Amino acid sequence: MLFSQRVFCGQITPDDVGRKVLLGGWVDAFRDHGGLLFIHLRDRSGIMQIVFSPEVASADLCQRAASLHAEYCIAVTGEVKKRLAGTENPNIETGNIELMATELTVLSESDTLPFTVSEKAMVPATVDRSADKVAEDLRLQYRYLDIRRPSMRDNLMARHRIFQCVREFLDSKGFLEIETPVLTSSTPEGARDYLVPSRLHPHNFYALPQSPQLFKQLLMIGGMERYFQIARCFRDEDLRPNRQPEFTQLDIEASFIDEEFIYELVEELTVKMFAVVGIKLSRPFARITYADAMDTTGSDRPDLRFGLRFVDVTDVFYQTNYSIFRQILQRGGYIKGINIKGQSEMLSKNVLQNEYAKEIAPSFGAKGMTWMRSEGGKLESNIVQFFSNQELEALRKKFDVADGDVLIMIADPSYAIVTSALGQLRLHLANRLSLIPANSFFPVWITEFPLFEATDEGAVTSSHHPFTAPDRIDFDPKNIEELLMLRSRAYDLVMNGEELGGGSIRINDRNLQRKIFAALGLTEEETREKFGFFLRAFDFGAPPHGGLALGMDRTVSMILQTPSIREVIAFPKNRSAACPLTGAPSAVKREQLAELRLLNLGAQDLLLGTAQKGNRIDHLSWVSRIGISAKERPVMEQILTQAEELVLLATQKAGKEEPIRNVAPVTNHTRPGTEEKRSALSQTGQLLKSAPAVKGNYYKVASILE
Amino acid sequence: MDSIFFYRNLEIVAPKDGHLQGVKIAIQPNISVAGWPTEAGSKALLNFKAIEDATIVQRLRQAGAFVCGSTHMSEFGFGLAGSKAGEALRRQAADVELVLDLMGESRLAALHAAACGFKPSYGLVSQFGLIGLIPSMECCGLLSRNLKNIREILQTIAGPDELDFSIPDEEIPNFSPQEIDPQKTTIGFITEPQNELSNDKEAIFRYSVDELKKAGFSLREMSLPDFSLFSLVHKIVGSVEASSCAGRYDSVRYGPRALGTKNWNDMYLLSRGAAFGLLLKSYLFQGAFFQFENYGAYENACRIRARLLTDMQLLLSQADFLVFPIDNGATSGASELLADTYNQFASTVFANVTGQPALYLPPVSGAAHLGFQLAGPRLSDARLLAVGEYLLNMRNGGK
Repeated sequence: MLFSQRVFCGQITPDDVGRKVLLGGWVDAFRDHGGLLFIHLRDRSGIMQIVFSPEVASADLCQRAASLHAEYCIAVTGEVKKRLAGTENPNIETGNIELMATELTVLSESDTLPFTVSEKAMVPATVDRSADKVAEDLRLQYRYLDIRRPSMRDNLMARHRIFQCVREFLDSKGFLEIETPVLTSSTPEGARDYLVPSRLHPHNFYALPQSPQLFKQLLMIGGMERYFQIARCFRDEDLRPNRQPEFTQLDIEASFIDEEFIYELVEELTVKMFAVVGIKLSRPFARITYADAMDTTGSDRPDLRFGLRFVDVTDVFYQTNYSIFRQILQRGGYIKGINIKGQSEMLSKNVLQNEYAKEIAPSFGAKGMTWMRSEGGKLESNIVQFFSNQELEALRKKFDVADGDVLIMIADPSYAIVTSALGQLRLHLANRLSLIPANSFFPVWITEFPLFEATDEGAVTSSHHPFTAPDRIDFDPKNIEELLMLRSRAYDLVMNGEELGGGSIRINDRNLQRKIFAALGLTEEETREKFGFFLRAFDFGAPPHGGLALGMDRTVSMILQTPSIREVIAFPKNRSAACPLTGAPSAVKREQLAELRLLNLGAQDLLLGTAQKGNRIDHLSWVSRIGISAKERPVMEQILTQAEELVLLATQKAGKEEPIRNVAPVTNHTRPGTEEKRSALSQTGQLLKSAPAVKGNYYKVASILE
Repeated sequence: MDSIFFYRNLEIVAPKDGHLQGVKIAIQPNISVAGWPTEAGSKALLNFKAIEDATIVQRLRQAGAFVCGSTHMSEFGFGLAGSKAGEALRRQAADVELVLDLMGESRLAALHAAACGFKPSYGLVSQFGLIGLIPSMECCGLLSRNLKNIREILQTIAGPDELDFSIPDEEIPNFSPQEIDPQKTTIGFITEPQNELSNDKEAIFRYSVDELKKAGFSLREMSLPDFSLFSLVHKIVGSVEASSCAGRYDSVRYGPRALGTKNWNDMYLLSRGAAFGLLLKSYLFQGAFFQFENYGAYENACRIRARLLTDMQLLLSQADFLVFPIDNGATSGASELLADTYNQFASTVFANVTGQPALYLPPVSGAAHLGFQLAGPRLSDARLLAVGEYLLNMRNGGK
């Protein structure tokens, strides 16, 4: 049979019983029943059980089948049969049928696998997902094997279907997919650029786009009306668990629209994307202002799947005798709290005082945490005696306290510390008390962001970017206080505590844009230098426009509920922003750097050879992580010279002997005993005693990031 | 006297029963004794206190010995700069000293103290609880005026230890006293090491050989043309092992940490930069050069090591023991330069490369020579010590 006649494993149904078919794929699993051989053949569509039976197959065929191994790529011809009653396999969709093989071709063999690919048991049993336990870097190194696993394959297929759904939907709404360049110049997003050196223009660099922001606005000025792009964006940011240096963004921009158009469009789109895997979202999505979100959840990307909203109780304590609160309020501070309803059994005095007040709250930046538990109609706490009855009564009312409730409060002169610490406590408690309902999705629009943020130098900077439209235009660009009161016409789409995307209505009036630059303290000249080409475009009739960008990796990961975004990207970078498969980023040859004129950038003319040696000292100091002081450098230079001589001598003198690394016979010893146990020295904390820094039961190290 | 000791054991311990009862042993602060500061001479372990006894300490105490303190040592025992090894014997503060031998330190310290120094076979004594630097070459050397002490201590501490996985499964030599028949014992002497000596020192060595002849041993002249390569192998292999071994000093589990580092790479770089002295840093830097830029040289050194091992075995199939000169080098002082340090140990380093036992015997008291080293095949420790005891006995007018 020819490959053109090949059918897919997953598409064979009991209706095909009696048909002769050709299948091609990989050996997923293998079972030998003495003479009778079963294999699971897997292709992208599913799994089919193949039977090599001496009754049907020749002895030669059975013998060749017996030499198959996992992940051999094979083609099999045979007849579809119904399985005998009692031998069905509910783990696979084709579990009621099997193929009686009559021909077998091994298309290519496989080495021993670095991890198991198969996820479907051959006999009815629990599904084996052993690959989930494989070190992620190993999975990434052999990503091509990893994506043979049905769960990864499903993720990539679902991603494809979601992207198709996006394209169809936006096409139906009159959006054009237009590509924008990847080699471009620096854009005004907040992060560091990835730079690409130009060979033709030495010492000049392209920047990879952090987003197609400027181009999409230029497309609007160019009259394209409605644009979208599934764009690859690049940000050279510090490592964070769910970030990738390059990521995929759905970029949307439209002209002659306002916020409601975007809300309507993106809500409809989001509902459709989630519906791809059968998740129903109800519309309209909630909307909450930035100020409300901060006031009640301490976050501009609130997780609203559960309660635990903040209650402001600052006014309860204006007259208090409790000195800590009094001092904070005298300094213009805030007191906010959360009522954790009915959880007093889970949150004992010990947990609240010793874990939350002493350890957890301080680790979130709070100087302290006050807690109370309601029992027998009374509020109880280690400090309750410092409060008046009126204060306690007011708390009961404000928090709507019932028996079994637990109150926690954070007081601090800084609003930012109160909301940030309480916000993190809110999430910590929700996780600890399992208050987050599974499989629920709570989309919410965050609106009315501040247009500007204060800088340390007493000026302002854009919260979003300087092209975001303000909520009003009659402001004084010199009045910092007024500027800080301005709201922007920006919006974020947040779901379950994660920001899926955001955007804004842009400024299209050049005079307003000038005013914003003036507010930012940029002179005409500076703006021209930074955004000249872009601003020039606004001199030719820019239409009102706005848009939004959705982080597609994150959105797909949310839809599929994967533990990380790397599970929905075919070839992601690992947590260290490296690719274990290709080895990127990697060193390049000196010649390449020379061609790009990147050697000795900005260096003085150095004596021939010294630059190289200096670099080597720096390099070795770095790879061996041993700092070398300027005073020690001459000694290390000498060491390198001597080491070079040793290299020569060793090369000259070495013969063909097998190298040895040990002068005594090597024997393998195992520690006596078979049970895993913790060292007594670790249990008593002795192991940690010599450590320079300890946190809890762990060694403390400097953070990985700057 | 306190300046000898890095830490003195001031507790009063009731003498225990056991064949080492009353023997006072000074160790170095690279050997763990629970509760003792154990800095191994390095800032990288500043304020580190051992949390368990090393196996050898536990065995010595079991046998009734008194571990009287630890003496100042060079950084991780590498070379003798800053070391007080031998001083405790010289000033009669201890009967025995345990001195880490990476390239001959215990034998040169013995020369300095005019005592006997013994480097046992590699793999004979448990390394558990010992802080080292060059795993395939180092071992704990013993210094004493009295070879019986050394023999009895080895009898106590040698042998398998279930906590030390690196010990090979081999038969332990029998350290009971044994008879030596010099007529039936051949001792070889290799000409090449003598070529490296100055004329007067060569003459001095001839004097040692004469002592052996007079004692009745048959002497045999031999040749090992590659003798100078022992240093080469040690320089390369030793520095690579040291660089990798010192990787553990990262200021996470012990040792001081540089302040104000922004991230953990910075933390390693600065903490480790501040932790090591210039000599050790040079050595680690050299090791890093081979590890990261010229691994082939390391492989080649391992090939040469294999050849030297075979050559040495061949010589020891033609003679029972070999006698070597000892030379404390041109610069016996405390140089911080790597090249000087290696020059100082050119005559002793061979036994660390091969793992064979080596015994340093001081000169007959009053004689103007430096003494000499005797070496045997791996695990011939007991017989080697017996030859030594025989010679000392002869000097004392014994049979």
